[in-house]
Amino acid sequence: MYLPRKIERDPAGGVRLNFDEQELLLLRELLAELQGLLEDPDDPAVRRLFPPAHDDFESEEQYRSLVRGQLLGGRAEALATVRRTLGRETLSPKEADAWLRAFNDLRLVLGTRLDVTEDIEFEGLDPREPRGRDLAVYAYLSWLQEELVEAIGQV
Amino acid sequence: MLQVHHDGKAVVSSGNRERSEHDVARLHAYGLWATMQQD
Repeated sequence: MYLPRKIERDPAGGVRLNFDEQELLLLRELLAELQGLLEDPDDPAVRRLFPPAHDDFESEEQYRSLVRGQLLGGRAEALATVRRTLGRETLSPKEADAWLRAFNDLRLVLGTRLDVTEDIEFEGLDPREPRGRDLAVYAYLSWLQEELVEAIGQV
Repeated sequence: MLQVHHDGKAVVSSGNRERSEHDVARLHAYGLWATMQQD
């Protein structure tokens, strides 16, 4: 089955986007959810975005107080860029980089929630299965991420 | 990279604590799992 590329390299530099209304609606919803989650650092899936650097409690506390704000700020900034540029037809290289970061975060959070492992078979997903719809969304995000990497990587 | 692929982990940086924490934070910014270990 031929599927047109959703994200491709723009000959003028940056990338071109070809999303339809349904996709924009879904992405807007997912990004809004991620935004809400970033404000709730106790969510287990969000903890995947901020892994511990140290085993011992004291060093870890110190590390957190040093970098947490910076890491959170970077994530919030990338997310804001994606939400601002979602309906656009083209992205600058810098905006495309923000997309890469925010989509990576989205996949990490969703993957953690769904307990995605290497063994999960994404071919022939059944949306009626309990995790079916969410796994389909995860697979869709992975596909977009791949196109984004390819579009950015082509020089 | 291959070591990560086969073993699930690899040493990517070594040095003093400040330097290593800086490197760990950069990996954390990209959503990568990185921890410190004292040798």
